Amino acid sequence: MESIVTRALNKVALWSRINSPWLVHFNSGSCNGCDIEILATLTPRYDLERFGVKLWGSPRHADVLICTGPVTRQARERLIRVYEQMPDPKFVVLVGSCGITGGVFHGCYNIVGALGDVIPVDVSVPGCPPRPEAIIDGVVQLLQKLKGGAPKTEAAGTVPPGAAGIMPPGAAGGTQ
Amino acid sequence: MSDECRQERPETLTLQSAADLVKQWAVSIRPVGESSLDVETSPETLPAAVAALWKARWGYLSAITALDNGSPAPAETAQAGAAPAAPRDDSLSVLYHFCRGPSVLTFRVKLPRARPFVPTLSRIVPPALLFEREVAETFGITIEGIPDRSRTFIADDWPEGIYPMRKDFSPQSALPPAPKSIAEPAAAPESKPGTFIVPIGPQHPALKEPGHFELTVDGELVTNARIRLGYVLRGIEKGAEDRTWIQTLYLMERICGICSHIHATAYVLGVEKLAGVTVPPRAQTVRTLFAELERIHSHLLWLGVAAHEAGFDTLFMYSWRDRETVMDLLERLSGNRVNYSVNVVGGVKYDVDAAGMDAIRRGLDHLEGRSHHYLKIATTDESFLRRTRGVGTITREQADMLGIVGPTARASGVPRDVRHDSPYAAYPQFPVEVVLDEGNDLVARFVVRIKELFECYRLIRAMLDRFPTGDLSIPVPRRIPEGEVVSRVEGPRGELFYYIRSAGGPKPDRVKVRTPSLCNWAAVESVAVGHKLADIPMILVGIDPCFSCNDRSIVVRRRASTESAEIPRHTEHWSWEDLRRHGIRSYEGGAT
Repeated sequence: MESIVTRALNKVALWSRINSPWLVHFNSGSCNGCDIEILATLTPRYDLERFGVKLWGSPRHADVLICTGPVTRQARERLIRVYEQMPDPKFVVLVGSCGITGGVFHGCYNIVGALGDVIPVDVSVPGCPPRPEAIIDGVVQLLQKLKGGAPKTEAAGTVPPGAAGIMPPGAAGGTQ
Repeated sequence: MSDECRQERPETLTLQSAADLVKQWAVSIRPVGESSLDVETSPETLPAAVAALWKARWGYLSAITALDNGSPAPAETAQAGAAPAAPRDDSLSVLYHFCRGPSVLTFRVKLPRARPFVPTLSRIVPPALLFEREVAETFGITIEGIPDRSRTFIADDWPEGIYPMRKDFSPQSALPPAPKSIAEPAAAPESKPGTFIVPIGPQHPALKEPGHFELTVDGELVTNARIRLGYVLRGIEKGAEDRTWIQTLYLMERICGICSHIHATAYVLGVEKLAGVTVPPRAQTVRTLFAELERIHSHLLWLGVAAHEAGFDTLFMYSWRDRETVMDLLERLSGNRVNYSVNVVGGVKYDVDAAGMDAIRRGLDHLEGRSHHYLKIATTDESFLRRTRGVGTITREQADMLGIVGPTARASGVPRDVRHDSPYAAYPQFPVEVVLDEGNDLVARFVVRIKELFECYRLIRAMLDRFPTGDLSIPVPRRIPEGEVVSRVEGPRGELFYYIRSAGGPKPDRVKVRTPSLCNWAAVESVAVGHKLADIPMILVGIDPCFSCNDRSIVVRRRASTESAEIPRHTEHWSWEDLRRHGIRSYEGGAT
């Protein structure tokens, strides 16, 4: 049973998460197109930072994993490792068509599949590459989702915990 | 490097003289077109022939292409709707492309499929090492004498004995699935006492793309650098063989999101040459216009990222803000910001109208003013210069020997620019002045790239003033006649090399891509040693590396144990005592 203190703390945590989500970026096989658009989104013209978003280098400090590209054989394990290093609750924004289906790279021999086959995805932003406005929209949608209080991922493409080498929630060594 | 490489470069050598140099080892010599020569040799005589060419300093090794002359896997043939099978034999070939100005000399070695081997050239021509590793792993061709046989390119869990680029491998064929569990990290290489290995990546804050670096450090000094790429390897070259000529265009455009247009241009120029069609001049000019706009966006992007690595985020934000000017122009002209999709086989899709030309002129005027400002910052800002002056020095000799291309080579005084050496598209009508700098260090790389921006502005204005009239495209048959072609263009990062072979069918038989970053990795590996750890991100970004370009197929991996085998490096292992003394000396004398 939740005490008043826990509930209050959770409220504060949610409030701060919505107002200042930190992003970590991982390219799991992208052509770079989405990556430079993500970067453009953070620079003065589009300025994603006005939503309190900050791109940060370490997955251990991040709330949101922003992912680009299909998943290559070599990047797959590293992607899972980055995901598991993030503290719970964690969220994944997928940028680019090829992460959704494999896109133009579908059928290439070193692609293991879409991002959703490997880690759970919360928001997908289609486009090759999506415009910065679309990326902003994706992040804002995620923020809306957070406001709704959905603390754990239930998006399409979700694999059951453990199926693709993902440990069950809580076992990842993150702090709640 | 050996003494013979320091000889004066005789400027008069031509293709004919190259033929004279190598004819005693050649089985046959066949001229292809005006500027290419095809020299067939046996694997045994190849090193001698290459050594003769290298000794005379005839050009540089641009790429090594491996070919499978066999038939595709049966499943694939059925899917292709019974493509007309060209006369084929059961052999593999390796092609070594040497370039000098507009001339391309290709050594061709034919190998039996059962036991293919070629001797390594890396002891004669250092840049060959990376190309040879690619050939060895994707085609299963044994490179005799190669210093490192460990897996360097395909994924760690790729099954042994399956060579993805051979025709008998189909991407659809079942592979053992990737392991379900997370493997333990590879055992750290043994470090000598007193040294420490700093692992960085693949996810790391410095660049936006994944790469793994193992830097052996002794105190602050880097004593060895090892790079593992391949995290964004997708298998595009194989994918091209599975797609039609037109579908492949869109795949090639997505090799790299930064230089998407130049990849597509290299591809269509090659295919058009194979098809024997002449593209209207207006189409060629539109292509060139986009290529130069792309160069502006890429150089500004690089300027920002490089400033970011130096901790100069203000410049990063400014240059990216100004980059939006050219992004707006690209979007206005093509509707897209990144993959413009301008090229079609036989021409271009988009025209440039008068209003568009005015918009470009206005944009350039704005950018030109800003570029002057950036040039001033890069050359006068003292705190910035402290991060760049004398850092990452590559001498002209080294740049030449390591086969470095693009602005990185030009910052070391090597005049290597395909737009000038072998003009393509509309460059014959709008000649380029090669921007050179003799500074050799990171400052020079900043200066060369910013000055190239001015050259871009000049070129674009010249094109707008004399824009040819006429059609935008001409029809090209869906089946491209049998043949092979080399297509070289100058991307923002340097020479981009395409080898395209057609078997006369609706799909390419082989598309080989050698990207500029691949040539420039050698620079990082040899230059990093001896620098402070904090300088490494700057050195890395100095070559403007592009992982997705590389990883259409390749990986570099250097074992600490083989460090001295191929590229001479100035590695010194210091004891802790040496290091302590060095520290004291350095603070007392102010020396580094």
